This record gives sequence, structure tokens and C-alpha cells, in this order.
Amino acid sequence: MDIETVRKVARVARLKLTPDEEKEFARDLEEVLTYFSLLDEAPRVDTHDFNPVRVADVLREDDPARDVNAEKLRDSMDTYQDMVRGPRLS
Amino acid sequence: MRIGLEVHVQLPTRSKLFCSCSTSAEEPNSSICPTCLGFPGSRPAINRKALEMAVQIARFLQCRIAPEIWFSRKTYFYPDLPKHFQITQYDSPVGVDGHFMVEGKSIGIWRVHVEEDPGRIKRVGRSGEEVSLIDYNRSGIPLVEIVTAPDLSSPDEARIFLTELLVELRHIIGTSAGDEQSVRADANISMGEERVEVKNVQGLRNLERALKFEANRQQRMLESGMKVVRETRRFDEERKVTLSAREKEFEEDYGYIGEPDLGVYDLTRFASSMPEIETPLRRAQRMSAHYVVDYEKARQIVLTSMALADLFEAIAKRVDPEVAMNWTLGPISNNWSQLLPRLTEQVVEDVVTVVQQVVDRQITDSEGRRRIGAIAVGECAQDVSCAVEDALLDSIISQYLDEHPQVLKDYASNPRSANSVIGHVMKVAQGKYNSQEVVEAVRKEIERRKG
Amino acid sequence: MSRFPCPDKLLKLNQRFKIFTELAEDLSFLQEYPPRTHFSAKDNLCAVGFQARAGSRILEGYRPPFDATAIWRMRQEGAALLGKTNMDEFGFGTFCTNSGYDIPRNPFDEERACGGSSGGAAAATSLLEGHVALGVSTGGSISCPASFCGVIGLTPTYGRISRHGLIDYANSLDKIGLLVRDPLALRKWLPVISGPDPKDPTSCVQPALVTSGRRVERVAVPKEATENLSSGVESQFARSLASLQEEHGILVEEVSMPSLRFALSAYYVLATSEASTNLARYCGMRFGVRNLDISQHFNDFFAETRSANFGTEAKRRILLGTYARMVGFRDRYYMKALAVRQLVIAEYKKMFQDFDLVLTPTMPFIAPHFAEIERMRPLEAYQADFLTVPPNLAGLPHLSLPCGYSDSMPVGMQLVAPHWEERLLLDIADRWTSKFKMRFPEVSA
Repeated sequence: MDIETVRKVARVARLKLTPDEEKEFARDLEEVLTYFSLLDEAPRVDTHDFNPVRVADVLREDDPARDVNAEKLRDSMDTYQDMVRGPRLS
Repeated sequence: MRIGLEVHVQLPTRSKLFCSCSTSAEEPNSSICPTCLGFPGSRPAINRKALEMAVQIARFLQCRIAPEIWFSRKTYFYPDLPKHFQITQYDSPVGVDGHFMVEGKSIGIWRVHVEEDPGRIKRVGRSGEEVSLIDYNRSGIPLVEIVTAPDLSSPDEARIFLTELLVELRHIIGTSAGDEQSVRADANISMGEERVEVKNVQGLRNLERALKFEANRQQRMLESGMKVVRETRRFDEERKVTLSAREKEFEEDYGYIGEPDLGVYDLTRFASSMPEIETPLRRAQRMSAHYVVDYEKARQIVLTSMALADLFEAIAKRVDPEVAMNWTLGPISNNWSQLLPRLTEQVVEDVVTVVQQVVDRQITDSEGRRRIGAIAVGECAQDVSCAVEDALLDSIISQYLDEHPQVLKDYASNPRSANSVIGHVMKVAQGKYNSQEVVEAVRKEIERRKG
Repeated sequence: MSRFPCPDKLLKLNQRFKIFTELAEDLSFLQEYPPRTHFSAKDNLCAVGFQARAGSRILEGYRPPFDATAIWRMRQEGAALLGKTNMDEFGFGTFCTNSGYDIPRNPFDEERACGGSSGGAAAATSLLEGHVALGVSTGGSISCPASFCGVIGLTPTYGRISRHGLIDYANSLDKIGLLVRDPLALRKWLPVISGPDPKDPTSCVQPALVTSGRRVERVAVPKEATENLSSGVESQFARSLASLQEEHGILVEEVSMPSLRFALSAYYVLATSEASTNLARYCGMRFGVRNLDISQHFNDFFAETRSANFGTEAKRRILLGTYARMVGFRDRYYMKALAVRQLVIAEYKKMFQDFDLVLTPTMPFIAPHFAEIERMRPLEAYQADFLTVPPNLAGLPHLSLPCGYSDSMPVGMQLVAPHWEERLLLDIADRWTSKFKMRFPEVSA
């Protein structure tokens, strides 16, 4: 796998890699993806089953409820006037 | 000009889409839990009511309802998105290929699907250096996203489209008219070749402003020979202009995968257990066609209240629909706020009876109106004293005509001889009747005697 | 060690073998009478009163505000939580050498690994009599350490145990399970932690757990699973087959399951795809390690925290998983892997028409030395999972039983049952251990 692709994937995943890491991961990914190409031999079946057992029609009633104290949750985060602080936007 | 909209409507459920947090919260970050905060170890459980509302909306928009749906993770990094993925529907919308009529024109609806709202970001600090403050009360609120075809051809048309759509949707899902808070839209607008996307416009008023500004901007560019660049813009609410959204420094590849924690949902069974709802404007169209009355008037009725429409239809089954319309938009509407809370089957029957009696000339127009007013405040309409008053009017007229036979003789050549009768009645009755009905009653009696 | 270790001994043991990443503050319950069952939870399970770091630096300081359902149910039943056990970061590993904290040592030989990713859980079970360990398996993380440390590891059907409070690796593959020395403990505690939980919808489709009513009579051994084994494992496995037939009257037959060869790639594609989305939330905000420099642009803010606090294997899997879902690759990898999973499930279902269980060795070798592991390429380490991955991919319940010893190190065999048929595994566990003499490490703390 070429370095440019590794860089692109790292950007999408918000990972900052050192040049050494880039080289190493390029090599690792190349080996693993080559092995993954075994999948090309398997027959193609269109499926939208995302679980190994069928999970269907599990619904929750529209009843408000509270298990965990909201104030405790708020206190565990970094807040300013009850709003959670986040990084720069622009 | 071609405009397409992606409309996000908050669903008025009591709890959020994937957790049981209440959807009504006052203080910031007061309605939160590990799930809508994306804490490690938390997971979603979907709200039945939200799914029901989505199916109702898709059905109303004449969409083809998917037999089975599932959810997907849309991964991107932004401070308002707790898990850094949004649970949405990528390749499995609730409904597709629908349409919505606006002033006789069909606007295509490409898809309707369900997704969760992210938190609300407040930008603070100097422009260009703003940091974020986030309120997660909004995180996890259920949204329905409605994507239209680019069939809208002007900002005005877009505004009308959205206004009418919201009237209908409000009835289906039961929101109150707080559109400015609960509706957001992304608009795609192109005058020529390239499409500009204006993202995240809050509320109808801002949408109209954004579209008008953007249409103008593109128009001016084309007129001065410049090319419109394909880009994403945002609407600045304070300055009322669209601005180029900063080029994304990093790339996003949403990398959609299925959401295994939720599984699949059989919508065929789900949808068949829900009754169809007739929405206001659809009803106005039906009433206008069926009763052969003016659509605008029918529309006025349904927009006042569906119960008013019920009442209109009850009356229109017994008297001429035009008359029913006049009474509905007239005396009944005038008393509506008091009448509505009292609307039992008996009260409806009483109102219908009053109108019928006026039509049959058993009581005067004036008396009819008085009786409607009486019913509205809970008094007995069949007030004997009023029946007496009607009889009283007739007897005053009769008596005068008996005493002044000249009126009758003169009437043939000079109808204004009736004025003396009218004047007499008004003086004697001392304001008990309005002039209109006195004129009516006098003329009626004279004609009767002559005929 | 005696059934109820005294706190001092326990601390010394922990110092030597690095079993627990966090021990309960108050260990006096160990000396209560009547005694309570002591249990441990892998550190990716949330428990109020403990940190939950899932073997990762990025969750340093995270104190969950709620209990995982499995832990809550154990506590309700009277068991006492001893501590949180060491693991590979987020479950990413076959040997429990990828931790951001301590690496547990194999109780049979301190120079060797425990197996992963529930390494600490297996070590605890091996060293502490009467201990019940909650482990988690995604691709074999209960079976592998059970095999390497000579204990019994049960991985129930996917969806049998609620995952509420489990820090996710891969939502369609994670299963909570048990590591014990005595099958009676399985019978006692499996029903306690099983059952629907509205907080985890995937746990709400299970039929009721049945623990009796069927007996193991016929077992299939896929020939694809008897290649590439170390000679030690090969011979111990062969002896076990003979024992099953002669001593237990079970019919053992060789079969072929050709789609098993796709299982490993499909597993790693799905697991890393899901993991790369599950790990997106770790960014220096709200929980775990906080980044206090909010003057940074959010992309840098996120990237910095993540890069500084994720280990190498975590980064590797995030990159792999992100790639497998990207536009242009998603069809070939992610979508294909979904299809292969269905293929593997169908292959097992076909086997179960004629057989009660499918049997293979658990791991292709005994617990390796740490030095050996360091020399392995990533792909080599992944391929060590080729025996445990298939039932994990298919969500089938499976059991690792100690079945022999080679070079004084434990060897395990793995039995796979149809979905929801844990009772077959309980049956074979009872019968096997009635004849097989399990060895435990001689340790004086």
C-alpha cells in the first residue's frame, strides 16, 4: 500500500502518524490486505444481515425515564455554565 | 432555477430516539444519559413512536414503504456528535418515490428516513477563533429527513411548499406550530449549471431569506459573466447572508456500515397496523370536490380546526353546502373559541338544527345567529322568549299594515312605501332587531298579503 | 491457593502475575463467613466503583456511572467483585501483550503469555480456586486464554448475554462469557447473567436458556482444523479424540468444511470495520483522557489525543477498518465479509443436521514465549486465531476444555454447538471433566 493512501486513511481516522509509523503501517496493511483478497474467491451474496442471529423488531415504548443522574454526568465533563467545553471550530 | 430541499423535522415524541431521556428539557445538559452522550458501554434502543410517525409521514407523501429497514453508522468527526458517528438510514429509507402537491404542481419526494439529531453547538469567542460550547439535550432527538427532487422553481415556491407541508405534517405527528425551532433544511439551489448547497438553515423565515439571497447572488454573478462555483455555504442568521463554509481541511469518508445493535424492522406488518390519517389540506381538497364549494374557503375551515370541518360537513349534509359554508365561516367561526370546548354530539345536532330552521324560514337569520351565540356560551337555544320575539316582530308589522292599508296599495308602484313600516317597527322595538331582518320580515309580509 | 485467598497473598500474587489492573479497595469480604463467590470482570466491562479502561491509556480515569448488566446480575445474586482483569487494548490481540497497562504472565510459566484478549481473566481463574471470571470474546478471546492457561472457557451464543455496559470492540461479534475451573460454576452462573435486557436489543431475541435435555452423541472434526498444528497440540488432540470415543462413547467423525478458510479474513474485516467506528468517540472530550487545549482546531485536537493514547495495534486496526469501509473498497471488503459470515453460518447449520457438536483444537500451539510473540508479524498473530474465529464469526456458542499438556503447558480443545444450545456444552463439560484430570499451577504467593 502506498504512503499516500496510508496518509489519507489516517486523516479520515484522525490519527497523526510519524513518518516511521507511516512506513510501518503501509507494510502491515499491505500484508494483511493481500491476505484479505482471499475474500474475492468467496461467492457474492447480497445481505443486510448485520448480526449472526436474526435481530428483528425490538422496540422501546415512548416513556421518558432516567437511570443515571444528569447532574453527576454533567459534573464528570468539562463544563462552562452547564455547557460542555469543546475545541475550536474554525 | 432549480431548488431541492432536505428538510429535517424533529418528531414530537416524549423520549429521544435511542434512549429514554425526555425530549423536553429547559436547562442545558439536563436531559442526558450515557447513550445520548456516547459514553463507552452505552448502546441504542429505538423508540417505537418515532418509527410510527416516520411511517405515517412517508405514507402521507405517497412513498413506497420499504418492507424491511435497518440503520447505518455515518462516521465523521465534529464536536456536536458524541459517538463521532450518527445513526441514520443510508441504504434503507422508510419510504421512497413519493410526491406532494403544491398549488397544482407535483413536487417529487425522493426519500423519507429516520435519524438522530446531534447536540447543539454554541460558537463563542472572536470570529475565526471560535471555540464550542455544546448542549447535549438535543443529542438523540428523533428526526425525519425528507428529501425532495429539485422540482421547486423559486424561493417563493419553496416557502409555500414547506409551509403547506408543515401544516400537513403537524396534523400527522401532532406538533404545535413551533416550526422555527423544530425544522431545519439544507437547500440545493442552481440557476445555471452548478449547484450550491446551503446547509443547516433553521426555520422557515431563515430558509426564505437564505434562498432569496442565494438566488440573487447567483443571478448577479451570472449577469456579470462570472461562473457560479459548486460549493457548500452556510446561512448567517444575523447578517442574513450566505457564506462560503470553510473548505474542509480534512476529508470525510462516511464509511457507512450497518448498525448491529439495532437489527432490522419489518415495516409491512408495522404499517398495516396503523390507520390512515386524513390531513387538513387533503381534507379541504376532498370537501371542495365533494360539496362543490370554493377550495380557498374549505382551506380556511380546515386551517381553523378539523373539528370545524367536521361541523361544516354535518351541516352540509342537511342544507345547501353554500349555505353551510356561509354559516360555518360566519356566525359559527365568530363563536368558535367558545364553541369548540362544548362540541358534543348533541351540541352539533343543535347547531345543525338552527341552520336548518333558518333555511326553512322557521326562524329569522338574526334569531339563528343569536341561537348559535347562545349555544356557544352554553345557554339553551330554544329560548321561548325569543320565539315570542319573533312572533312579536310579525305582529307589530301585521298590526301596522292593518292600520295603514295605504302602504299595501302604494307598494306596487312605489316599493319605498315599505319604509314607513320599517321605521315604525324600529321605533317600537327599540333596537331589538337589526334593520336587515326587519326589512326582510316587512317585505315578506307585504308579499304574502299581496300574493 | 486456597479457596478464599487472604488479601495479602492476593496482592503478592497480583504483583507477580499482573492479573488485575484494579483490585477492589476493600478485600475483607474474602474472609467473611458464609463466603461469597468472588468474581472478576475484564476491564472492558463497566462497574460502578472501579475504573473501566479496556486496556487503553485513552480511558485512563474513566469511572463509569453505571454497571454492566452482567456485573449487576452477578452482584444481585450475591457474588463479590474482586477486581478488573488485564486485557489487550479494546480486545485487540491474541496474546494479551497489547495492553496499555500491565501484561499478565502465564501461571504455568511466567515467560509465556496468557493468551488474549481476556488474559487476566484466565490467569485469575487458573490461580484462584473457586473463582469465576467474566471474559469477553470477539474472535476467540475467551477460548484462547482458557486454552493457554488450562481452564474452562464458555462463550455463549451471540445475544445470550446483554452487552449493556461492555465497552465495544465489534457489536456483531462481542460476547460476554465465563472462565471457570469447575463446570458446576458454569451451570450456576450462566443462567444468572443470561436473559433479555431492554438496554441491549440484541439480547431480546433469545429463546429461554435451557441447561438440560440433550446429550452429546456425535461430534464432527473438520479436516481443515487439523492442519498447521504444532506437534504437541496435534498429539494431545488425537489422544482426546480417542478418549471421547473410548471413554465417553461419543462418535467422532472427520468432515470437510471448505468455507472455513474464508472465516479469518471475513472476521478481521468486520471486526476492524466496526471497531474503527466504535473507537471514533475517543477524542479527549467528555470521558477518559481529556485534552485541555481547546484553542486547537477540532481536527488537531482529536488527532493529537488519539495518536498519543492509542497503542500500535489499536492504530493498526483503526486504519484497516477505516480502509475496509471507504468508498471504493467497501463493496470488496465490508459487504463481502457480511456475505461470507452468512456462508460460514450455513456451513455449520449443515453440519448440525448430522452432528451435535463440531470439534477442533482451540489454538494451534501452546502459550508462546513473550520473545517469540515480539518476533511475529501482525498477520502471523492474526492467523493464530484461525481455529477460534469461525464459531465467533458465526455467533455460535463454544467451549474450550483443557484436554492435555505438552511441555508442561496446557492444551485446549474447542467444541461448537448450534445457536442457543449451550446445554450441549454443559453436558460435554460435565462428562469430560469427570474423567480428565485438570492440572493447576503450583504457586506459592
